[in-house]
Amino acid sequence: MMDLMVFAGIALIKIVVVLVVVLTTVAFLTLAERKVLSWMQDRMGPMEVGPYGILQPVADGLKLFFKEDIIPAGANWVLFSLAPILSLVPALIGFAVIPYGPNKEVELFGYAFKPFVITDINIGILYILAFASIGAYGIILGGWSSNNKYSLLGGLRAAAQVISYELNIGLAIIGVLILSGSLSMVKISEAQAGGFWHWYVFGGLQIIGFVVYLISAVAETNRLPFDLPEAESELVAGWMTEYSGMRFAFFFMAEYANMVLVSCTAAVLFLGGWQAPYPGTLLPENLAWIEGIFWFIVKVYFFLFMFFWIRATLPRLRYDQLMRFGWKVMLPLALANVVLTAVGVFVWRRLQG
Amino acid sequence: MMEHSSLTLRQWAQRFTFYEILVGMKATITVFIQRIVLRSRSAVTLQYPHEKRDLPGSYRGMIALLRYDDDSEKCVGCDLCEAACPSRVITVISAEKEGDPMKRYAKEYYMDMTRCIFCGLCIQACPVDALAMTKEYEWSVYNKRDLRLSKPQLLALGDRNFPQRERKIEFQHPNVAFFNIGHHDLPPMTSKEITSKDQPPVTL
Repeated sequence: MMDLMVFAGIALIKIVVVLVVVLTTVAFLTLAERKVLSWMQDRMGPMEVGPYGILQPVADGLKLFFKEDIIPAGANWVLFSLAPILSLVPALIGFAVIPYGPNKEVELFGYAFKPFVITDINIGILYILAFASIGAYGIILGGWSSNNKYSLLGGLRAAAQVISYELNIGLAIIGVLILSGSLSMVKISEAQAGGFWHWYVFGGLQIIGFVVYLISAVAETNRLPFDLPEAESELVAGWMTEYSGMRFAFFFMAEYANMVLVSCTAAVLFLGGWQAPYPGTLLPENLAWIEGIFWFIVKVYFFLFMFFWIRATLPRLRYDQLMRFGWKVMLPLALANVVLTAVGVFVWRRLQG
Repeated sequence: MMEHSSLTLRQWAQRFTFYEILVGMKATITVFIQRIVLRSRSAVTLQYPHEKRDLPGSYRGMIALLRYDDDSEKCVGCDLCEAACPSRVITVISAEKEGDPMKRYAKEYYMDMTRCIFCGLCIQACPVDALAMTKEYEWSVYNKRDLRLSKPQLLALGDRNFPQRERKIEFQHPNVAFFNIGHHDLPPMTSKEITSKDQPPVTL
């Protein structure tokens, strides 16, 4: 009984820490996005709240919290209330299997635990993909239950788009799974140790899978240039049109949490997670975890910057272009990557004997 | 597909490597690096309430009533501004000066600035240059009626925007109305007049 309580307590502490870090990141990502976009567009971005607008997320959060919560007449209020939760929870729940630092056990009061991953389940990547699919329900139900044609159109677009591109994500990472022989995020990270030439994007020749994953991840999180479900200039705000106050904030947080999640996943799968781009560690053995976490954060923020960079550059696709690109370009590329990797691994292992 | 068969190898390679997207990404990151790393580029934004633009001299802002240097009002209550105004902004109620029936003044003077189109026709119409346009533009109010300006308000606008006032000219005969005619409506000078401009200008 005591063991169980300590186990649950440690798990809870880890969950709280990760949630706090992720939600703070999400809050300040909104500011970072606006700042990066403005720097790329000769503007200043938010400058009023705090020095250089640094407290803008706080002001935004307070505003959204105290805003009137409107449920439109004729809306299905059960689904209308459920949709933001269905959106946010799957986005946050995926962080349970992301390893942030070296996979080593720490002993505390006689209980051993791994501090840098909430839980290392052996089907981690499958778990993330499964919950990402549930996240699509939030969008679709939100769009449908609003009793608004724009919302419905946004929801329909989201349904088609998220399903099409989830397929590509699933296929793009198969190359990595073939190479690592495991679905566990920790094992995948560990398999890429020893310098950047061991990372799967370079060492495993997964560059096609990497590119397909990145593009599909942008599409799956409904970010520009694939933000057709939201499409400000066409659908007002798509599936979020009728939402206000905290419900809107939930959708907003879900979008950014999803961005962080796919960035973490990309870092783990293709760039070796916490592994440094050089063999071994610079810091002494007992401080190596600082270095691991540092490199993980650098990689994640590289991908997040990529999201902003792409958003600042590219205009939105037309819907048929989106579908054609997904099914006629991304899908064959991902399949080709699977075949090539499988053949390559087979031949390589035969040659190795 | 047929359209693809006509692609050259170079075009095909460019399409396959997302060449055009990379060109666009290069453009944005160049601006980003110039802005953040090299500091050779700055924002075009003006932080409006904190920083303001320099307005041109001919800026058409709020309209003001002017005074002479002895604090007497310039306005003679002639109603010409009211007649000239295309959107009926101005209401003048003129009256005789007490004890001086030949002279009139604006007893009341209203400008409904909600309707004003800032065309400047009233300023052109004024025979005594009693009206002028200031450079004030921050006149948002909570109550629309606050924009119906009365004479004291218009005079105050003139006082704070035009500290340098025109000297009042005493005219020859007390019974003759004097119009300090502005020269902006005169026809362009002939070449003969221009050549005779060599003598020093007459100062009032």
